[in-house]
Amino acid sequence: MASLRQKMPNPATLRSYRALQRVVAVPRVRCYATDIEPERPKPLRQGNEAKLGRSFQGQVQGSIGQRIQREREERDRYEHWREVTDPSRNWTLTIFVLGMVGISYWLGTFWHREEEKASTYRLATAKEIRHNTKLENMQAAWADFLKIVGKDHVSTLETDIDHHAASDWSSHKPKPEERPFCVVYPGSTEEVSEIMKICHKRKIPVVGYSGGTSLEGHFTHTRKGISIDFGRMNKVLALHKEDLDVVVQPAVRWELLNEDLGKDGLFFPPDPGPGAMIGGMIGTGCSGTNAYRYGTMREWVLSITAVLADGTVIKTRQRPRKSSAGYDLTKLLIGSEGTLGLVTEATLKLAVKPEHTSVAVASFPSIHHAATCVSKVVGKGIPVAAVEILDDNQMKCINEAGATSRHWTEAPTIFFKFAGTPNGVKEQVSQVQALAKEVGSKSFDFAKSHEEQDELWSARKEALWSTLAVKKEGDRVWTGDVAVPVSHLPDLIEETKEDMKKSGLFGTIVGHVGDGNFHSILLYNDAQRAKAEAVVHRMVKRAVELEGTVTGEHGVGLVKRDYLPHELGETTIDAMRLIKNAFDPQCLLNCDKVVRMQKPASGEVHEW
Amino acid sequence: MRRFPQSIGLLTISRGQRAGPSRARRCYSTSPSTNANPGRTPNGFGVLGLVAATAAVTAVVTASIMSKRTEPLPKPVVENGGPKQRVGPRYADEKTTLKALEEIKSSIKGISVSLDPDDLESHGYAEWSGSNIPERPFAVVMPTTTEEVSTIAKICTKYKVPMIPFGAGSSVEGHFSAPFTGLSIDLSKMNNVVSLNADDMDVVVQPGVNWVNLNDQIKESGLFLPLDPSPTAHIGGMVATNCSGTNAMRYGTMKDWVVNVTVVLADGSVIKTRRRPRKTSAGYNLTGLFVGSEGTLGIITEVTLKLAVIPSSYGVATTTFPSVKDAAAAASKLIRRGIPLAALELMDDVQMQVINKTGGAGGRMWAEKATLFIKFSGSTESAVKDNMEQAQEISKAYGGADFEVAKSQEEMDSLWAARKQALWAMLALREEGTEIWSTDVAVPLSRMAEIIDYSKENSSKLGLFSSVLGHVGDGNFHQAVMYDPRDAKQTASVKKCVDDMVDMALEMDGTVSGEHGIGIGKKHCLEKELGSDTIAIMRSLKQTLDPHCLLNPGKIFEN
Ligand SMILES: Cc1cc2nc3c(=O)[nH]c(=O)nc-3n(C[C@H](O)[C@H](O)[C@H](O)COP(=O)(O)OP(=O)(O)OC[C@H]3O[C@@H](n4cnc5c(N)ncnc54)[C@H](O)[C@@H]3O)c2cc1C
Ligand SMILES: Cc1cc2nc3c(=O)[nH]c(=O)nc-3n(C[C@H](O)[C@H](O)[C@H](O)COP(=O)(O)OP(=O)(O)OC[C@H]3O[C@@H](n4cnc5c(N)ncnc54)[C@H](O)[C@@H]3O)c2cc1C
Repeated sequence: MASLRQKMPNPATLRSYRALQRVVAVPRVRCYATDIEPERPKPLRQGNEAKLGRSFQGQVQGSIGQRIQREREERDRYEHWREVTDPSRNWTLTIFVLGMVGISYWLGTFWHREEEKASTYRLATAKEIRHNTKLENMQAAWADFLKIVGKDHVSTLETDIDHHAASDWSSHKPKPEERPFCVVYPGSTEEVSEIMKICHKRKIPVVGYSGGTSLEGHFTHTRKGISIDFGRMNKVLALHKEDLDVVVQPAVRWELLNEDLGKDGLFFPPDPGPGAMIGGMIGTGCSGTNAYRYGTMREWVLSITAVLADGTVIKTRQRPRKSSAGYDLTKLLIGSEGTLGLVTEATLKLAVKPEHTSVAVASFPSIHHAATCVSKVVGKGIPVAAVEILDDNQMKCINEAGATSRHWTEAPTIFFKFAGTPNGVKEQVSQVQALAKEVGSKSFDFAKSHEEQDELWSARKEALWSTLAVKKEGDRVWTGDVAVPVSHLPDLIEETKEDMKKSGLFGTIVGHVGDGNFHSILLYNDAQRAKAEAVVHRMVKRAVELEGTVTGEHGVGLVKRDYLPHELGETTIDAMRLIKNAFDPQCLLNCDKVVRMQKPASGEVHEW
Repeated sequence: MRRFPQSIGLLTISRGQRAGPSRARRCYSTSPSTNANPGRTPNGFGVLGLVAATAAVTAVVTASIMSKRTEPLPKPVVENGGPKQRVGPRYADEKTTLKALEEIKSSIKGISVSLDPDDLESHGYAEWSGSNIPERPFAVVMPTTTEEVSTIAKICTKYKVPMIPFGAGSSVEGHFSAPFTGLSIDLSKMNNVVSLNADDMDVVVQPGVNWVNLNDQIKESGLFLPLDPSPTAHIGGMVATNCSGTNAMRYGTMKDWVVNVTVVLADGSVIKTRRRPRKTSAGYNLTGLFVGSEGTLGIITEVTLKLAVIPSSYGVATTTFPSVKDAAAAASKLIRRGIPLAALELMDDVQMQVINKTGGAGGRMWAEKATLFIKFSGSTESAVKDNMEQAQEISKAYGGADFEVAKSQEEMDSLWAARKQALWAMLALREEGTEIWSTDVAVPLSRMAEIIDYSKENSSKLGLFSSVLGHVGDGNFHQAVMYDPRDAKQTASVKKCVDDMVDMALEMDGTVSGEHGIGIGKKHCLEKELGSDTIAIMRSLKQTLDPHCLLNPGKIFEN
């Protein structure tokens, strides 16, 4: 500013200078661009003629004017140049650009790229599953669990962990590292929900555990994580005798429940393995000997309270005996094997105990004869309560194990259960007897007393245990389970028996033949595992070819998931996968069971 | 700053070009190319702007991609109030729909398509429905095979045209109404019985088969399908509404009789949920999911049904009671005793009056009192007789009188027909312009007497003419209320009457729909019954299977 004033030649130009000052004063001081000398404009060249035509004063004024003009241009340039190079301006610009990028990014999150909106979820496009089972994370979670359920109800004891990792009767042999970090024992729906919230936040996989009697590796900890054992939630919450329903927690055992209900003349029909509990029974969609008359678990659950993967609690219904209101989430959860939600409460339908029951046992010269008898009884619509088939080997086991006090003919045998009014039962028994004779039965006994009934029927219920009783040290058992349309049953049983004989393994056959469902029970040692697997595999394949299913009641678990696409087709499995993904996008709940959510490693899936 | 033009790339470039070339050298631009070719390139502003613009575009794109990729991370399974959606489902306009229709016509030779107003009316309105709306479907298409349905679905997905499956149109809650217009996909041309497997006691049928015809066709085999909704209903619609009827007490509802369904999903993929085993635990129970989904998850194009053996002997008895409450209480007791009844139906005094007015039933007039119709069935005569004796004993204890047993087959059939025709009788009786609102709630057995009594009282208090008839064997009953839709006061009364009944049923741990389903008329009730979390998981199922919300949109819950 000072230098400018010194240069001022005379007051006459003051006015124009002021105008100039307004423009240049500030920039001049603030110019930082000292390293690069601004290019000065060259003086205007003028011809002599022009110069000569002026007076001295005119010349002086002219040159002052020129100088001012020059300076003005110079300042203009300075100003312009400053504008271009001012670092503060550049910084602002940079920040502005980055800001724009940020804002654009943020805006972009609203503009969802059109997803591939298909109605199926293919394995090929499946995303990676990311869990966090690192020790630090698990320990931190463990501390959270302690806060939720108290320190008495979280266990890291080796024995507890072993118990929740594998079972003797399961056909799946887990790898040594497939174990839970800890077992948590919640006491209420809220606690389960809290636990799931922690697991959801920390990405810890969870496996539900009730009775542990499932057979196909259902509760194997393929992703480590934690086991939630419902053992403490074992109460009957409300019995509505007049409404024929009961509200229970998941760890109620069906046998104990029936003992309770019997006092009121009621019962709950599904009867799977001894020791099974309502939670697991819903998990596998079980059935049992009563299914022929009463249907499976699907027909006997009115409502389910379930905790979903993120801890949300849903209740699928209240207590009406029938409903058409909305999607049937109850049915979707039954048989989902703990992969969609954890059952924490259920309302069960009850049946009135039949006034009178009876049991009859008939033996036949061959399986085929026995099966024919069954289709006759079923086709006639005789309302027997149950029809079960046991083959000669199985009868032998029962004799050898001494499971019952009586000695049985070691031939293919059918167990019938009758229910109804005394007259009705009598009539049914004689109808069945006549049919059995027609087919060529070797013997026909029926129970005369209640005790005798129980005795006869226990032989059927003890089948698996009696086979286990005759096994050699180190032997394992493989329970196969398929179902086909009833008319294909005799052929399938016969072929399977033949195949078992050829393989050289000891095996028996028992079946809920009224539904076209039967089991093969194979004994094998470690060396024979591949053989046993092959026998079961062939049986399953045959069942699928006969329009049947790979599992009638035991469920898919780990062992049968690669059979499913063959039974149902890839697209159907893709729809199932989509549903799993909708319920549990992080695959926390019993991951890897029922449907694969991740591409298998090469060689993992056996040839069909 | 006085000027701020750098914000947009384009503007910056033009500005840069105006500036002299020599200026370029002086700017702090990071772009080396400005030195290399000063004459051509825009100056620093331009480049910066360009970089900014590119970066911004890249950011938008990556963000949108990322936002998709990272979606499954701790995202709540259930989002209260429905998934975040900035725009609701957008559907094809008229022109696009027409284009879709043309494409359907050209891809499926000989497909029947109708734009006839009468057809549209019958596919969008029903006089027996309590939930009619003014919109109609744009057109009716009638495919004949699963492949054709799949083609239609693909085209509809391409053009975002709503698809509304249609069976016989006997549903009563506006199930097949077309709030967003679209195509009504009428499956009645797919009416073949594909195969009867008598030995396996099952039958494979197409969705357009009528259940009465089916039972006629397979009579020879000694088997029957025990569901009995409206005599006009088709299998597809019956599966989609999870119907039941008078036989449900003994035989259960539709979901207990479906072995598998073949379904065309929204995008045209075809799935078959099972083969033919009578029972299975293999994988998720998709069959159970599609039964009762009211055409919102997929279009059913083939069904395998279990069949029951026709009972070798059965009998029908009727008995009257002093009040509806007594009748309902007797019904509860009959069930509780475990007497194996085939059916147990209740009609109140008004309904009996209606029957008499329309010419009686079973060849005679009836006492105009609350009446129980009881069906017995068994494999033997003596079992049926035993059961009848027990039933008589129990009903007497509740004031039951005139326990009458039908003597001949004709009498039995005609008696039962009286029950089946009840709604038609009511419709026949109504005055010009009036309509019938048929409700449908179910409650636990022991509460039935109470709620029936309450509903009757409530409607008479409101001055409405109504009758009660119920499948009381499973705690389900209907109240048919007559009203004049032009009369605002009456309409409001009906609404209140129905709402009160629904609330009461829920208070009793019941359901807002025992057998008719939700459709469009009961959406608000469903939320009340199940709570928002449960609805949210249903909604997320719907959204997963039908992401564009094209299948029967606007039903069951808001999308
Ligand atoms: C001797 C024997 C006989 C058998 N007979 C039959 C038979 O006749 N019929 C038949 O159907 N089955 C039979 N089974 C198989 C078995 O009993 C059934 O599958 C039963 O339903 C399993 O119940 P559980 O309580 O033991 O379940 P678990 O083994 O504890 O669990 C089964 C599955 O359900 C999941 N689960 C457990 N609890 C919950 C919960 N609360 N919420 C969600 N998911 C849960 C688990 O994660 C697992 O995937 C038999 C088994 C044995 C050992
Ligand atoms: C006089 C009368 C008596 C009745 N009695 C009973 C009764 O006792 N019990 C009972 O439960 N109901 C009863 N109803 C109601 C009705 O009969 C049932 O809801 C029936 O199941 C509807 O079948 P529909 O073929 O008419 O189906 P529609 O009315 O055509 O359709 C019903 C729903 O199913 C969908 N749909 C139809 N076909 C398919 C398909 N192929 N795939 C997917 N979705 C499809 C439709 O989009 C719609 O949402 C009665 C109705 C009347 C008029």
